[in-house]
Amino acid sequence: MNSSRRPVKVSVLVGSLLLTGGTMTQAAPNTFNTALPVAQGQTIWREQLVLRERSDDGPMDRDVSVQALVSVLGYGVTSNIAVFGMVPYFFNKELDVAMPMGPMDRIERDTSGFGDLSLFGRYTLYKKDFTGSTFRVAPVFGLTAPTGDDNDSDRFGELPRSLQAGDGAWDGFGGVVTTYQTLQYQLDGQLLYRENGRHDGFARGDETRFDASLQYRIWPRSMQGVSGTPGFVYALLESNLVHRERDQLGSGTDANSGGTQWLLAPGLQYVTRRWIVEGTVQLPVAEDPHGDAIEDEYIVRVGFRRNF
Amino acid sequence: MVKKLTLLLSALIFSMAVLAADNRYVLGVDGLACPFCAYGIEKRLNRIDGVTDVQVDVGESVVRVALQEGKTLTEERARQAVDEAGFTLRSYSQAEGETGDGDEQ
Repeated sequence: MNSSRRPVKVSVLVGSLLLTGGTMTQAAPNTFNTALPVAQGQTIWREQLVLRERSDDGPMDRDVSVQALVSVLGYGVTSNIAVFGMVPYFFNKELDVAMPMGPMDRIERDTSGFGDLSLFGRYTLYKKDFTGSTFRVAPVFGLTAPTGDDNDSDRFGELPRSLQAGDGAWDGFGGVVTTYQTLQYQLDGQLLYRENGRHDGFARGDETRFDASLQYRIWPRSMQGVSGTPGFVYALLESNLVHRERDQLGSGTDANSGGTQWLLAPGLQYVTRRWIVEGTVQLPVAEDPHGDAIEDEYIVRVGFRRNF
Repeated sequence: MVKKLTLLLSALIFSMAVLAADNRYVLGVDGLACPFCAYGIEKRLNRIDGVTDVQVDVGESVVRVALQEGKTLTEERARQAVDEAGFTLRSYSQAEGETGDGDEQ
C-alpha cells in the first residue's frame, strides 16, 4: 500500500517552524518577533536548533520528529526599517506511522534538506523612548518562497505533502509586534496572520497566532554599582496561541488537520553586547485539534545570535 | 644626567597633556535597556571621523565618546548617530578631563 496517497495530517510542520521561531534577531523572545531596533547598517545573524516531537492518538498512531537548524540574517536599512531572511535546514523530518492493513506494522518515512525561504520587513511605526526603557510598535510583512524540495520520495512513493521540506507554494504573512523593554524586564506581544498558498492541489491551512513574552532579568540582580555594559541573564516565559484552519486537498478540506493550540515556553537567555545564547522548551498547555490532527509534544529551541 | 631627567619629565608631561587633550563627550541616550542594543550605538558612533573610543553604560543610559585631538563631536552629529541606531538623544555635554562623568541635562 502506498501510504503517500493517504491524507497524512502532519500539519503545521513547515509553517509553524518558520513562524514559531527563528524570526527576528534582536534581544527578544525565542519563539516570535520583537519590535526592538536594528541599527542602520547593522547585521544580525541568528542560528536556532529546533527539535520538535509530535504525535496523535488516532488509529494511525503517528509520530513526527523534526530536527532543523533555522538560519536568520537581519539588516538595518534605516533605524526604522529592517529586513530579514530566514531559511530552515532540516537534518531530518521523519514520520513513523502504523500500517495495520499493510505488510509491516509500522513504516518510517523521512526527508532532509533546505526548506522554504522567508523574506520579510519590519517598520517601526511608533516608538517612545524613556531613560532606561522603550516602547515600540512595528508592523511586519513577508513572503515565503517555495525554495524547499516539495516532491521528495522514498521506496513507498512520493512523500506526503506536509512531510516535504517545502510546500511548493508562495505564502504571505503580516501582523504587528509590540515591545516594552526596561532594564529589569521586557514584554513582547505579536498578532500575526499567515495565508498559505496552494500548489498542486494542496494548501496548508491559514494560520492566526497571538504570542506574548515576558523576559525578566535575573542577573545582575541589581544595576546599582554596575557600570559599563555587563551581560544580562534573563528568565523567559513565552506563550503562543495558534489557530490553524484545515488543510485544503483538491476541492475539499482535510477534516483531520489544523485546530487550536496553546504553548508555554520557559527558557533562559544570556545577553551580551555582541552575543546572545538562549534556550527554551515549548510545551502544550491546551490543544484542540480538528479530528485526529497531530499534536505537539514539545519543541526544544537552542541557539545564538551575533551582531556585526 | 639632570638634563636627561628634565627631558624625560618634559616628555612625560607632554604625553599626559596630549592624552588630556582628547575630546570627550557624554551623551544621554533614551530607549537603551539591554546590552545587545548597545552595540548599534557603538557602531554608529564609531563611524564618526576621529572617534577613538565609545563606552556605553547601560545602567546609567549614557554613552561616553572620545575623539582624537582636534576633532569634535557636534550635538547635531551625535543626535544623528543615536537616531540611526534607533534611539533618542536625551543630553549632550563635553566632558572635563578624562573622566567624562558629567551628564548635564
